[in-house]
Amino acid sequence: MSFQVILSQLASGMLLTISIFVLTLLFSMPLGFFVAFGRMANNKVIRFLTQLYISVMRGTPLMLQLMVVYFFPWYLFHISLGSFWRFPAIILGFTINYAAYFAEIYRSGIEAIPKGQYEAAKLLGYTKAQTFLRIILPQVIKIILPAVTNEVITLVKDTSLAYTLSCIEMFSVAKQIAAAETSMLPFAVAALFYYLFNLLVSLGMNRLEKKMSYY
Amino acid sequence: MKKKILSLVGLFTGCLLLLSGCGAKGDENNFVVGFDAEYPPYGYMDDNGEYTGFDLELAEAICEMEGWTLVKQPIVWDNKDNELNSGSIDCIWSGFTIDGREDDYAWSDPYVDNSQVIVVSASANIHSLADLEGKTVGVQTASAALSVLEDPDQQRSLADTFKKLQEFGDYNTAFAELEAGSVDAIAMDIGVAQYQIESRDNGNFIILDEHLNSEQYGIGFALDNTQLRDTVNADLHKLKENGTFDTLAEKYGLSDMVCLE
Repeated sequence: MSFQVILSQLASGMLLTISIFVLTLLFSMPLGFFVAFGRMANNKVIRFLTQLYISVMRGTPLMLQLMVVYFFPWYLFHISLGSFWRFPAIILGFTINYAAYFAEIYRSGIEAIPKGQYEAAKLLGYTKAQTFLRIILPQVIKIILPAVTNEVITLVKDTSLAYTLSCIEMFSVAKQIAAAETSMLPFAVAALFYYLFNLLVSLGMNRLEKKMSYY
Repeated sequence: MKKKILSLVGLFTGCLLLLSGCGAKGDENNFVVGFDAEYPPYGYMDDNGEYTGFDLELAEAICEMEGWTLVKQPIVWDNKDNELNSGSIDCIWSGFTIDGREDDYAWSDPYVDNSQVIVVSASANIHSLADLEGKTVGVQTASAALSVLEDPDQQRSLADTFKKLQEFGDYNTAFAELEAGSVDAIAMDIGVAQYQIESRDNGNFIILDEHLNSEQYGIGFALDNTQLRDTVNADLHKLKENGTFDTLAEKYGLSDMVCLE
């Protein structure tokens, strides 16, 4: 089997891998902000609950979380969602896991801003929302970018965990071709794909970092 | 700009849900077959990226008779029971061994006579089951070969003489390990063993003449789904009568092993 045939077969899996990646980022990055605010809330109950959420999400394997999300409607409520639930379950599982990590990254950025800036902004007549959006947030983004890049690159590789729920993303396709052809070549192609994908991600993030270094 | 990105993502997602391999079900007329896509010649991916194999072509023929649409759902073998119980798939049809699982599924009639065998390196000095003493033996997780080796009434006493019983996820990895020498032998189904050895075609592997046991393949349905089981079972016999079954068995090199009456 030639390199090109393998590549064309892997293409369908790549589409799925990329969409898990894009959708997870799309949902988990904003959700992470809410979790971060909950984690820093003055209300003790909210703070405790978000802390619990983060510790469970970070403390258990993503593979296990995916299985829980996909199978709990049946085992808890005996609702049979069938194959329709497969893809949404994967996105939900990835999203709630990554939101926990993003939340802690956001918190590290927000708490890095000296208190004096809030006081200065207040003195200058900024409202709380204005202070956050115009003064704090731009600096936070600058601080957290390297950590976010780390997490995004990890996500590219983690997409292969979707195989647990029998979602045939790129790595599963590679395994299937390898089995049918009794060859290891498909894995080499898969490795190349992950590497190029991550190269693009880090190049993009580097450009973004340069753009943000205006002071 | 933001709107543009959002609508692009939306469009992308929409297309994807239509195309994706994790696709939507929900149609009453679908017949969803769960199978291990790394299990040639019963179910695997062909050169065109389509799933095929002896079991899947049989399923296709039955769907044609019944006017159903066949949905080929590759599953992770460890999760096969969860998939079946939660209704994600209608049956497990994947070179699925009946022996030892008689009470766990609603079974069709057995259609393949299968044996569990040991594959070893041709250059290794292993000629009988007794030679496996002190060796590392590989076996697929949750497979029939594993349950044979763990069952005290079958080959448990043999497995106790091994240095180690090494579990692995798929056969490609196992053969790579056998080639590299990190395992000395692999316990597996004879049909799969023949396919693996033939397609590697390098004379490096042999099947021991002594078999671990003999057993049969069937199609597994959820225990409460005997109605669907009966329909498929009757169709399977019709395929045998009209010759389709034997033609397919020959195509996949399984003629010596099929046993449907």
